[in-house]
Amino acid sequence: MSFRRLIIVLAGFGLLLTAGPSVAQTGVEQVTLTRWALQHIMARHWPDSTATGAGKFQAGITEDSLRDMINEAVRAGRARRNTHGRPGVIYEYDFQRQIGTTIDGGPATRLRVVVNNRNEVITAFPF
Amino acid sequence: MHLDYQLNEARDTDWSSVTEEDLRYRVALGNLILHVGDKDFSASWGWIPLVDLAASFAEIIHKLESGSSSETFEFTESDAWIRFEKKDAKVLVSASYGEGIGETPLHAVSEAVKSFRERLRSELVRRYPEVGNNPTFKKLFGTGHGRG
Repeated sequence: MSFRRLIIVLAGFGLLLTAGPSVAQTGVEQVTLTRWALQHIMARHWPDSTATGAGKFQAGITEDSLRDMINEAVRAGRARRNTHGRPGVIYEYDFQRQIGTTIDGGPATRLRVVVNNRNEVITAFPF
Repeated sequence: MHLDYQLNEARDTDWSSVTEEDLRYRVALGNLILHVGDKDFSASWGWIPLVDLAASFAEIIHKLESGSSSETFEFTESDAWIRFEKKDAKVLVSASYGEGIGETPLHAVSEAVKSFRERLRSELVRRYPEVGNNPTFKKLFGTGHGRG
């Protein structure tokens, strides 16, 4: 079984276990965007965040549009194991349009989503 | 090679129950100070999870010492990276956000990372004594894979 197929199976299993308004759901996969994770993302990557060295989402981003982008990245993006012993999986997806800015202030078209082993979003940011 | 950190104040953290995910992404945040030769790869972003950085660097050194020719550290909240490329007994260090390539002996990197981990562990335990009994904290600062 390939790693990506394994991820899809595990994520599909998560579909049976989680529900509620903070669930980002797609056809075969879903991840949960908790309030904690949303606050984490907003503090570092929201357009008005003052955090340096971190990509920023474009002005006008909302919780709903963030959840939509996360859904799409998890469903259609490239998955890989998190690095150097960190828990979870990294999904990366190129939206082919600007979704924010890079750490240098240039246009960012890609989204990286880090998801833990319980299918909960840890962080997500444009790059 | 000079490897150091600046640790932010942490409020509202229950250090006795922090998880690996917390330590990898959310707590013990600060800045990285990294000089390799005359190259400065420091990152003063304030949000760098320092326990994660210490554990990841230790993993990288272990892999380099075990035969890997190149390892890349990825920051948690950006696509920025620091690359370590082994060349004989030396390591070439470069970063996506810095210019140039620094060169230093592998043993110097190993000693710098070991010292970094111990200083960070000691400071966290001194500031937050309850974290000293946290098994995840112990694991991330432990001696797994023969690292110390």
